[in-house]
Amino acid sequence: MAELKPWLPLLFPLLILELGLLIFALRDLRLRERTRGSKWMWAIIILFVSLLGPVLYLTLGREE
Amino acid sequence: MSFQVALRKELLEQWRTTRLLIVVVVFLALGLSSPLLARLTPELMKLVPGGEAFVPLIPAPTAADAVAQYVKNLSQFGVVLALLMAMGALALEKDKGTLALIVVKPMPRGAIVAAKFAALATSFAIATALAAAAGYYYTWVLFGSVEVAGWALLNVLLWLFFLVYTAVTLLASAITRSQVAAGGLGFAAVVTLSVAGSLPRVGEYFPGQLLVWGATRMTGSEVRSWPALVVSVAIVLGSLVLASVALQHQEL
Repeated sequence: MAELKPWLPLLFPLLILELGLLIFALRDLRLRERTRGSKWMWAIIILFVSLLGPVLYLTLGREE
Repeated sequence: MSFQVALRKELLEQWRTTRLLIVVVVFLALGLSSPLLARLTPELMKLVPGGEAFVPLIPAPTAADAVAQYVKNLSQFGVVLALLMAMGALALEKDKGTLALIVVKPMPRGAIVAAKFAALATSFAIATALAAAAGYYYTWVLFGSVEVAGWALLNVLLWLFFLVYTAVTLLASAITRSQVAAGGLGFAAVVTLSVAGSLPRVGEYFPGQLLVWGATRMTGSEVRSWPALVVSVAIVLGSLVLASVALQHQEL
């Protein structure tokens, strides 16, 4: 991991963006009354499908 | 006038449903990660068990690798986002019955289609511009200067590439009443255009060639593809006209 240490200042904004999207999607999922499909399924997709998981939930999973 | 009203409604919807934010965040992340991934590939290989043996075989990363990574990532995610954003645009509103309420205002159906497309195009324009700025900065930091005009052209061509798939999926959304069916039809169109674009000779007339144009401009061996540009614009306009016609003939 020492090889990546000098690059941390450049990696940091990227981590913030990805983590921010993930937290935003999880928060939306927690607060939303109804979703298309089970909430557990969406939680797993958001957590384990990097970048695309939150996007899939936010575009397809929310019952507007 | 009715177009402006419809466009305002659509832009507001893009904002309130956080769809604009989603595209912007994903594109920004791709703009930042692509040059990083190109630069850090040798370091990442060292982290893989047994990967150190392959490190000497990997050529030193260059700005061209960053550009190639940027084009690959943005084009793939951009097409997926075009599908996801446009598939429900009309089908979902027909299904819920909200489109019928808008039409009785009265609002010409062509204006509704045009406004939905313009709003999506605006979202993609903002997201692509931010990804371009992020990608340019990181490529400059990691590899040195990049030609600004070439970078701008590459991103305009990428934006047009996304608009082709947005318009085609919007047409699918106008034809069907189900968001899933629209997504399926849109995906079929993506596959068809990709397969046709990979065929020898015929391929140079398809939107995929826009990416080749942009990428080759950045490597100094520009392959201009005016036929692909004309065909792409024709696909966009044709899809929008057909979507309007399809909507005219439907009982909402």
